[in-house]
Amino acid sequence: MKKDMIVAVCLAIVIVIMSYIATLGGGLGPLFNGVRPLTIIYLNTTLNIHNPNFTAMSPEAVTAIVWDYRGLDTLFETAVFYLAIIGSVAIYRGIDEKLRISEGFGLSKIVKVVTKLLIPMNIAIATSIALHGHLTPGGGFQAGAAMAVIPMLLIIAFSRYFLLDIRLSRGLALALRSVGLLGIALTVFIPVVIGLVNGLNAYIMQNQAKVNAPVSLPAFVGSSLISGSLIMYNVSEFLAVTFGFTLLFILLSIEEGLVKEQMRGEGVEH
Amino acid sequence: MELTYLLLAISMLFALVATYLAIVEKSLVKAVVYSALQSVSFTLALYLLKAPDIVLVYLPITVGVYPAAILFLIRKTEEVEEV
Repeated sequence: MKKDMIVAVCLAIVIVIMSYIATLGGGLGPLFNGVRPLTIIYLNTTLNIHNPNFTAMSPEAVTAIVWDYRGLDTLFETAVFYLAIIGSVAIYRGIDEKLRISEGFGLSKIVKVVTKLLIPMNIAIATSIALHGHLTPGGGFQAGAAMAVIPMLLIIAFSRYFLLDIRLSRGLALALRSVGLLGIALTVFIPVVIGLVNGLNAYIMQNQAKVNAPVSLPAFVGSSLISGSLIMYNVSEFLAVTFGFTLLFILLSIEEGLVKEQMRGEGVEH
Repeated sequence: MELTYLLLAISMLFALVATYLAIVEKSLVKAVVYSALQSVSFTLALYLLKAPDIVLVYLPITVGVYPAAILFLIRKTEEVEEV
C-alpha cells in the first residue's frame, strides 16, 4: 500500500510538472489567445444573412458543422451506432418475456418518489437541449443521451416489469427508433425533392442555397430561427438515440435464466 | 486565465486519484463508482476547456449509461475481482 502511494504521488507530480511546462511554462511556445484563421471562417459563415450562399443559418457553430458542413460524416456515424444496436437486437431475437406485475419489485418507496420527481425535470432538460440544438450547445445525440437516463432510472428503481406496465415494450422502442431514423433519411432527400419539383439543381443534405444550387430550407418560422434542416435532424436524432438506448437497456435487463432456458429449448428441437 | 489552469489541474488530479482507486479496488461495483467520479472531474475539465457540447454528451453517457451497462455486466458475472 505504501509503495502504491509513492507511485501515485510521483505520477501526480510528473503530470503537474508536464502540464506546467506545456502551458504556463511556455514549452509549446507562447500561449495563443487570439482567434485562429479556421475559427474566423466558421464565425463568418455560420450565421451570416448578408452572405446567403455560404451560411448555415445557425448561431451554434458546432451543430452547424456536425449536420451541415460535414453532414455525411454524421450520417455514417449514426449508421455505425444503429448497426451496433441491431446486433444486440439480433442476439436476443425470439426470446419471449414473462409478463409480471411490477408491484413488489424495485427499490424502496423513498427512491421511487425521488425518481418520480426527477423524471419531469429530465424530460424538460432533454427536450430543451434537442429543440435548442441549433441555438445553444447541445443537439440530437446529447438530448437523446440525457433522455436515455430515464428508462435506466425506471428499470433500476421500479424494475423492468414497470416498463412493460407502461407499455414501453421492445417493439415500441424499435418502432420509435425507426421513426427517428426515417426522419433523418427523409430530411436528407427533402432538398432534392424540392429541386426536382421546381426544376432546380440541388444536393442531398443541402441546408441553405449554394451558388449553383438555389434550394434553401426555411431558416425562419415567423420570427424564430429554426436553421432549416438542422432542427429536423436534431429532433429525429433525439428520437432515434433515446429509443435506441431504451431498447438496449430493455434487452440488457432481461433475466439471464430465461434467455438460457429458451436457448437450450431451441437446441433440443434441432 | 490562471484560475482556469488551477481548476483544470485540480480536476485532473482528482481524476488521477479516482482512476487509481478504480484500478486497485477489488469490489467491482465500487470500482464503477470511482470510474464515474473520474468522469465527473473530466466533465469539469471539458467545461473549462470551453467544450460545452462535449460536456452535455459526456455527462449522461459516463455517469448514467456507462455505469449502468457495466453494472448489468457485473450482475451477470462475479462481484469481486479475484487475483
